[in-house]
Amino acid sequence: MNVATGEPLRARPLKAFSLAAVPGRGKSAATVVGLAAYVAGTVAIAHSSSYHQGLLLVAAVYSILALSLDLVAGATGLYSLGHAGLFALGAYGATILNTHYGWNIFLTLPVCVVGVALVGVVIGALSLRVSGLYFAITTLIFTIIVNVVVSDLSITGGYQGLPSPDFPNFPKALSGLGTALVWGVSGALLLTVVVIWSIRSSALYPALLAIRGSEPFASSVGVRTALTRVGVFSLSAALAGLAGWTFCFLGFITPGQFDSTAAVNILVMVILGGMNTRTGPIFGAVFISLFPVVVNMNPLWQEVLFGAVFIFVIVLFPEGFVGLLARGWRRLVATRRLGQAGTAPRPGLAPPAVTPAAPDGALVRVGSGLQVRDANLLAPLARELPAREVPAREVPARGNGAAEATPALEALAISFNYVGGAKALNNVTFVVRRGTVHGLIGPNGSGKSTLVNLLSGELACQAGTIKLHGRRIERLAAWQRADLGMMRTFQTAVMVPELTPRQNVALGLFSRFDRIGPRALVWPMLPSARRDSRRMAAVAELSLAEVGLGAAWVRARLADVPHGVEQLTQLAVACAPKPSVLILDEPLAGLSTGEVEKVSQLVRDLKVKDVTVIVVEHQTRFIFDVCDEVTVLAAGELVTTGTAAQVRADDRVREVYLGQ
Amino acid sequence: MLQVLLTGLSIGAIYGLIGMAYAVVFYVTRVINFATGQLLMASIMIISGLTLQHWAVGPAIVLSLLASTAGGVVIYFLAVRPVLRFNRMSFAWLVSTLGVGIVMETLAAIIWGTSSLSFPQLLNGRDVGLLGGHLTWQQILTIGVAVVIVAAFEVVHRRTLFGKLGTAISSDPEMATAVGANVTMFAVQAFAFGGLLAGIAGVLVGPISFANAYLGDTYGIYGFIALMIGGTERPAAAMGGGFILGILSTLASTYINPEASDWFPFVVVLAVLLLTPKGIFTSGGALRRRMVAGVQRVSSRTTL
Repeated sequence: MNVATGEPLRARPLKAFSLAAVPGRGKSAATVVGLAAYVAGTVAIAHSSSYHQGLLLVAAVYSILALSLDLVAGATGLYSLGHAGLFALGAYGATILNTHYGWNIFLTLPVCVVGVALVGVVIGALSLRVSGLYFAITTLIFTIIVNVVVSDLSITGGYQGLPSPDFPNFPKALSGLGTALVWGVSGALLLTVVVIWSIRSSALYPALLAIRGSEPFASSVGVRTALTRVGVFSLSAALAGLAGWTFCFLGFITPGQFDSTAAVNILVMVILGGMNTRTGPIFGAVFISLFPVVVNMNPLWQEVLFGAVFIFVIVLFPEGFVGLLARGWRRLVATRRLGQAGTAPRPGLAPPAVTPAAPDGALVRVGSGLQVRDANLLAPLARELPAREVPAREVPARGNGAAEATPALEALAISFNYVGGAKALNNVTFVVRRGTVHGLIGPNGSGKSTLVNLLSGELACQAGTIKLHGRRIERLAAWQRADLGMMRTFQTAVMVPELTPRQNVALGLFSRFDRIGPRALVWPMLPSARRDSRRMAAVAELSLAEVGLGAAWVRARLADVPHGVEQLTQLAVACAPKPSVLILDEPLAGLSTGEVEKVSQLVRDLKVKDVTVIVVEHQTRFIFDVCDEVTVLAAGELVTTGTAAQVRADDRVREVYLGQ
Repeated sequence: MLQVLLTGLSIGAIYGLIGMAYAVVFYVTRVINFATGQLLMASIMIISGLTLQHWAVGPAIVLSLLASTAGGVVIYFLAVRPVLRFNRMSFAWLVSTLGVGIVMETLAAIIWGTSSLSFPQLLNGRDVGLLGGHLTWQQILTIGVAVVIVAAFEVVHRRTLFGKLGTAISSDPEMATAVGANVTMFAVQAFAFGGLLAGIAGVLVGPISFANAYLGDTYGIYGFIALMIGGTERPAAAMGGGFILGILSTLASTYINPEASDWFPFVVVLAVLLLTPKGIFTSGGALRRRMVAGVQRVSSRTTL
């Protein structure tokens, strides 16, 4: 609910990144209308002149290609210039299999798509090795090599290229449908749009954004970043192969259509239309493929105009066509909302801030105001934590003295040194008892953050063992440790700035839901997925309320919120999946006194809920206040571990840390 | 063999100069100026056009270098600055600089036609024997100019306050602004210097490439690959990348077949990128680390 106005919260999904892609009645009606219009358009084109068909089909094929590129470039941050090469493989593959080996043209389709997807797996795996500009150049070289190969081989027709195979026409009974090829291309485009838009509305999409901008964050919430990158790239490659397959029916294919210029042009389509948007790549593809045909003038001057349009569109609207439209739309909506609401503060302008320190009252108030329409949404999550499934015999109930003696997390004799650097940690043993709050302090450079990164799986230790609830985890990846119920926060918040706090917190639940990746392909069509989306949103909202963030912040982009809200959001992310072990790396940095009080209360609440908490912090008052035990590190060595009182009294600690 | 190396070095020097033109701009602004190849083309076309109008070669060269330098600055203000002001991290500059490249190339084709024009021979006709191989004075000049430019650049980069400010801007423009660096001024100078380098490369390569409105594409790509081999962390490394690329493509066209220079260098670059994802000459590069580790392993084994 809106804390400031007391107005109940409307669970309204966001326009651009609707996590909860809840197709309400209005939305499904819109889908039906859209589909009907699409089919009607296809019918119209299938009956139009072959000249117009030719134009529009080329535009449609490039739309498939641009959409597939945007999936990796826009959403996942892999700027591929290899899509021209993948496109060529699809087109040449289908043509050669058909004309040279006499395969049925529909048999070549799965072969091309799967084959190109496999090539995509290899290129996607390269992205784990090279990133950014280097990935772009690596993939450009792939395109160049494919281009050289198809130019030189005789089976590909050399520079002359190959004539297109015939696309079978409809049987007599269906001839009323018009040109069959139009239906084929239209179907391919529809398939692409469905798959990509599904992913964009799925719970996988925030994970992709996180991989793009903050990979450590993604793996800390349980996203298998390497697998996801490779998977998404190979899906994108499969769609590029599909585009190639459809392209081969449109006319002669020649190496010139798939050279480095073409590779760059596909990226230009995406950027010009609007990167990381639903429709932008389509606009860009239609513009670039139709411009030379529609603008009828001296070819040289036309080329000049073409280049000039590039410059001016991007200089005037750096977000591309769709970015321009979206900005206009946001402005319109904002003005209207201002006019309507009058007194209601807009998030980001007049923040009612974090609920002031009235811990119990605020919680109850928010909890009761949360008007979750379906109480089932907050029922226990689908995948409860394995750690909690340990039979009661092994883990005695809380409150029993023995429970506190059981270690939740043990780091035994671990050592780590950075490449070419000194030892960051030397033979450190660090045991955290279950259900306690354990502080980790030490001067700057003492190895606290290194230890946290080793525990969470960000770094791999070179010697020693780490156990979580008695299970050895030092060889597990960060995402596996998140799966086992260990969550962490980062010293400087590294979440996804384009998303709202609620969407970020929902991403924190990634490890608690099954098979998000495969289901993302058809996400809005799966009832289970839609339910999961709603549950994620509801749990995320509750979790935000628990750290004291009201609805005012739910809709603002994380990039626009103040630092304190960002820190608390991070806390909500880590708490949302109900971890059994929670590592907080300097949770108080930059928080106000009221917010510090809030976090202290929260940590105590977590302890009551049997969560084991590890806190790295410099504010010793906070540490000695909330921690049951404190470990002190200095220069990569363990100084001491003991209760707060013991540690405070320790002479060595005073010397190395408290400076007395 | 020596002949191949020398020829490779001289063509590599051209690639390296273009690579440095990219690198200097990228170093300061994090932008790849995709119209760099067209700046080279512009300087070639201007010299060719003016000498065909019976200008003396000297003034034509001076004018062409001025034009390519000014061209770099114009590109910055027209196509790069507005985009960066909106979002420093977006890739929108790719589209706008490509657009500039297309416009320049096509305007050149409109002005000078699409077929190749002659270019003054400069020092190209005069051969000189060298260590058993032989080079033209133009090739020697090319290598010499490249070496002098790299040396001068490194001295300025490392020894002067100006150069150090450039490093500061490269790593953190906001911090550099805070200590008083004028980031815009540096960006303008980087684009100007990039334009000048591209122009110089044009003057040097003109006698063998002749003057064609579309040759910017080819040289642009090769220069870009040189940049990638060398790595973007140090602008001068692009010259090393250029030399490697030049030698490799000459080797490929001599020993494999004349077309092999179309793909062989790229295969090598691919291998290089996979081994050292940030270029060969980057400090603490993966390759060097691996080699050091390997040497240590071998030496420890031998001592045992």
